[in-house]
Amino acid sequence: MDYINLVILGCALVTFIPRLIPALFIDKLNFSPKFEKFLNLIPYTALAALICPGVLTVDNQLWYIGLIGAVVAAGLAWKKAPMGAIVIITVVVLITVYSIVPFF
Amino acid sequence: MGIGYAAIAIKAGMSPLQTVSMSFLVYAGAGQFIAASMLASSASLMAIILTQFVVNLRYFVMSTCVLNKVEESNLPLNIFAGHLTVDESFAMFSLSSESSIWTFMGIALIAWAGWCLGAAIGVVILDLLPVIVTNSFNISLYALFVAILVPSIKENKQIGILVLITMIMNAILTPIMGNWALIVSTLIGAGIGMYIVDDEYVLTGDA
Repeated sequence: MDYINLVILGCALVTFIPRLIPALFIDKLNFSPKFEKFLNLIPYTALAALICPGVLTVDNQLWYIGLIGAVVAAGLAWKKAPMGAIVIITVVVLITVYSIVPFF
Repeated sequence: MGIGYAAIAIKAGMSPLQTVSMSFLVYAGAGQFIAASMLASSASLMAIILTQFVVNLRYFVMSTCVLNKVEESNLPLNIFAGHLTVDESFAMFSLSSESSIWTFMGIALIAWAGWCLGAAIGVVILDLLPVIVTNSFNISLYALFVAILVPSIKENKQIGILVLITMIMNAILTPIMGNWALIVSTLIGAGIGMYIVDDEYVLTGDA
């Protein structure tokens, strides 16, 4: 079998198992309020960890490119811009920044 | 993002069909980038699969959160929802006020279709796109994460402090622990949050 196909199937398997286990057992579990609180906090900490330091590697050479994008997105979100607009404006701002950078 | 993955996958020697099937079967944002890059640097099968497992272990935590929030569902639907759990679908659903499984499936199916479509578009138009444009698209996922997170920070300073602590922790741990850092920071962060965030803010609704 093609080596790349093996890689894809292997990756699919080890990715699916962690996703499958909660589906199998979630109904049999009754979490305590303390653990519920822990679970409810995870979206915030997971997003925090996904953003930093990953956002600084959007461009492998210029770390501040990602930072500019994050600051623009945060500013727009603070001003309650709709989510789609935030994403589109941030991408457009970065394309603009890229066009200016070579002049410095 | 899907387009960016296709760029790396094709460079790694994957066929267009393999590139798209990986998006369909594995469906793991960052994980696919890593697998394709490792393939390109001719890493061993075991190394790629082990790394993939570690990078995607966070979906265990995320699908637990998603299914715990859902009120009514059944096993086949839960399993399908599990496969569709990625950073975006998890984030958008967790911090939305809706808790129906169908809300999650709606968000998640669109994200899945978009990701596969992105890969398909990527293998076709790849050479036409300048690096500047692909890099600029890379920010879109982060912009989405920031957009989801900021309203909660604005509403509650304690969440803001928790987010800051977790970011600093993950920035310190990433160079030390590599791929393990994300899940470790997420869990320790939530543990710290137990003490610094008031009960009533995070326990509303589904406790």
